[in-house]
Amino acid sequence: MEPVIECRHLTHCYGRRKIYEDLSFDVPRGRILGLLGKNGTGKTTTINILSGYLEPRSGECLIFGENIRTLTPQTRRRIALLIEGHVQYQFMTIEQIERFYAAFYPAWNRDAYYGLMEKLQVAPGQRISRMSCGQRSQVALGLILAQNADLLVLDDFSMGLDPGYRRLFVEYLREFAKAEGKTVFLTSHIIQDMERLIDDCIIMDYGRILVQMPVGDLLRTFRRYSFRCPDDARLPSGEGLYHPAVVRGRGELCSFASPEEVRFRLEEAGIPCEGFTAETLNLEDAFIGLTGKY
Amino acid sequence: MTRFAKLFFWFLVLVLLLWQLPWAVNYLLVQSRNTPFTLYSEVLDDFVMIRHTSDKEVEYRDRAGNEYTRRAFDSLLPLFYARQLTADGRFPDSVAGRPVTLREAQIASFIFRSAPKDLNRPAPGLHFLLESMSGRVDLAMPSDAFRLTGRGIEFIDMAANRIDTAKSGRFTRMLLRKGCRFPVRELSGNPSARKEYDEGYLLLDADGGLFHLKMMQGRPYVRAVELPEGLRLRHLFLTEFRSRRTLAFLTDESHRLHVLTMPGYGIRRVEGVTFDPERESMTIVGTLLDWTVCVDGASAERYYAVSADDFSLLDTLSYPLSERRIPGLSFTSSSDRYVKPRFR
Amino acid sequence: MWKALLYKEWIKTRWYLLLALLVTLGFAGYALLKLHRAVALMGAGHIWEVMVTRQAVFIDQMQYVPLLAGLALAAVQYLPEMHRKCLKLTLHLPVPALATLGVMLAFGVAVLAVLFGLGIALLAAGARPVLAPELVGNILHAALPWYLAGVAGYLLGAWTILEPTWKRRILCLLMSVLLLRLFFLAPVPRAYGGFLAVLALLSLCAASLSWLSVVRFMAGRQD
Repeated sequence: MEPVIECRHLTHCYGRRKIYEDLSFDVPRGRILGLLGKNGTGKTTTINILSGYLEPRSGECLIFGENIRTLTPQTRRRIALLIEGHVQYQFMTIEQIERFYAAFYPAWNRDAYYGLMEKLQVAPGQRISRMSCGQRSQVALGLILAQNADLLVLDDFSMGLDPGYRRLFVEYLREFAKAEGKTVFLTSHIIQDMERLIDDCIIMDYGRILVQMPVGDLLRTFRRYSFRCPDDARLPSGEGLYHPAVVRGRGELCSFASPEEVRFRLEEAGIPCEGFTAETLNLEDAFIGLTGKY
Repeated sequence: MTRFAKLFFWFLVLVLLLWQLPWAVNYLLVQSRNTPFTLYSEVLDDFVMIRHTSDKEVEYRDRAGNEYTRRAFDSLLPLFYARQLTADGRFPDSVAGRPVTLREAQIASFIFRSAPKDLNRPAPGLHFLLESMSGRVDLAMPSDAFRLTGRGIEFIDMAANRIDTAKSGRFTRMLLRKGCRFPVRELSGNPSARKEYDEGYLLLDADGGLFHLKMMQGRPYVRAVELPEGLRLRHLFLTEFRSRRTLAFLTDESHRLHVLTMPGYGIRRVEGVTFDPERESMTIVGTLLDWTVCVDGASAERYYAVSADDFSLLDTLSYPLSERRIPGLSFTSSSDRYVKPRFR
Repeated sequence: MWKALLYKEWIKTRWYLLLALLVTLGFAGYALLKLHRAVALMGAGHIWEVMVTRQAVFIDQMQYVPLLAGLALAAVQYLPEMHRKCLKLTLHLPVPALATLGVMLAFGVAVLAVLFGLGIALLAAGARPVLAPELVGNILHAALPWYLAGVAGYLLGAWTILEPTWKRRILCLLMSVLLLRLFFLAPVPRAYGGFLAVLALLSLCAASLSWLSVVRFMAGRQD
């Protein structure tokens, strides 16, 4: 399946601070991909480059085969963009903003928008500037869905939403994307929501991509291993063993490797591995296991 | 568009730098001009000057460098300082061998000024013709204004804001009868009630002919002034001095200065004086016996002493001006009243 | 689509436009009122004389009103776009960015043209009954650079507001202040003559500067 988004050899720095170098990834059609990373690893930078509001130092991004710096309006029409902070025109009312956007998108789904707006306790004539933060986010999301785009780029989509609406939106979005074969590229601070929503994930560390794989594979194969071991033991590290540490007589590390292989490597390093356990993780724990606690 | 915008941006940067940088440098560097106040002394038959020195003292000297006290200096210019000398009881009975009275001295003295910015300016388009012979002592501003058109003169009643066709017709017919050809090229008058008498306007018609126009008891007075052979006039300055000896100063196309004398509308060249009113400013300080003409030119401040009797040249003096300015772009100028770019 | 773009500008500016109309016409009307009162009190003759000999135009108090109206319109139109980078939404619309910006700027210039056109018409119509055409011309010629300053101020204001970085924005501000000075140099009415046409052309070219700001915005320039 041809990729909807192709990023090739992206390098970007702010002044002298290098964000990443030679970053490449693809997002295939019909997939929901979550971009995960700790603060400062370049999630927003990537979204900004993808949405055309940041020129990378080098490298290029293609969306639907077109360079992002020179997207034609027709292609831009196929992309829905949720910008950081769920910003929308605050000077418009719910009705005005719907009327405004509807003029640009032939596939505009008015019902989807008003369906979501009905759940907000606001009058149709109320200006967005007079709404609560969460209500504004819902307006922005409603507009994104109504646009009926082929690709949705959502920056921190769950920000400001209460748990109920977050759950509702996640379910709605997934159903919508799967039913219509939409491609979604998103980031979020709340990783639990992602687990329910995304097909694939890209987990970023400072300056590089740690993994890009289907979430199912990650949850199946990535494990946390723990075992008794002396406090002064030197645990093996690197080569697929993430963040080994000894705390109060228990060694802990994460890895994609099988229990046998991990055990073999520990024993090879002279760690006795008493009480060796292996457990699969949820997405949030897997994320922490991959990127470390701090 | 990006390329055009960038070019335009750098064009603006360039214009602003050319405008502001030289201005700032000149503002900081250029000190004010310090040429002395100079007059021709009929006592010394030479120029004398008052100079403000750098330490705010005042120096009184003659051209030879002799220094005078303030009191002694007054006596070198008895006609210019006539009132002061009279107050001191020092006013002489005669000056340069000619008997004078204070009254004579006062009536004959005048100061005339012309600056380029008074000529190089948008024309107001409307003028006021006063009644020259109302029978009243004081002059009064008229209730109408006039404009010159391609075909005649048009008086507009100001209160009604309407053209007075009868009066316009009378004046136009008179001008035409006296040989004036429209459109009029230039006119000069001093439309003000704050003067001793009124001589109306001098007009330079389409053919370069000179005409004197005034209104006497509501009727037009037009006099065609005969010009000497070959004289092509350029600018007119109606004088209306107390002495009534002159009607106007005139310049011709070679920037020579002429006087229109009264009575009799005689035209006399002021010997030796050149003056381009569009570029140079001029001050004439006149006394009973002589005039000190100061022309502020580009490279020098030129002084001419001229006999008040026959306009012959008595003496000249020149202060070279060495203005060190950085050339730059400016939009206004002290020598005109227009806003336009100029590089100098 | 074009209608929708204009609709957005209209929503942003409609209340301001009403205010601007009232204020600009108010100032022009007030100046005319003063002129008529002066004519009634001191006689037309005195007023004509002052206008001819001392180049009075009786509308000096409205000198900076069009400029302020233009600057305020730029603020009303473009500050909401820069608020939390809303401009990203505008530029993401399926319309070429240059066309989007062009529509926004054209809306502003057109609105100012109507506003100022009404002001000029009011001045001309109000002064003509008591003044000769020459004097009415003096008034309009004195006011013309001020109105043009309003348009230039609007376009330079848009350039400055749309600029994404503060360092550059200060440069824009400095350049704008100097450029706007050009409209307030007249020592007498009619002093601009043909140069006013050049200024008008330069003012319209200043619309291109906003595109530079947008290009910088799209490249993600930040302080």
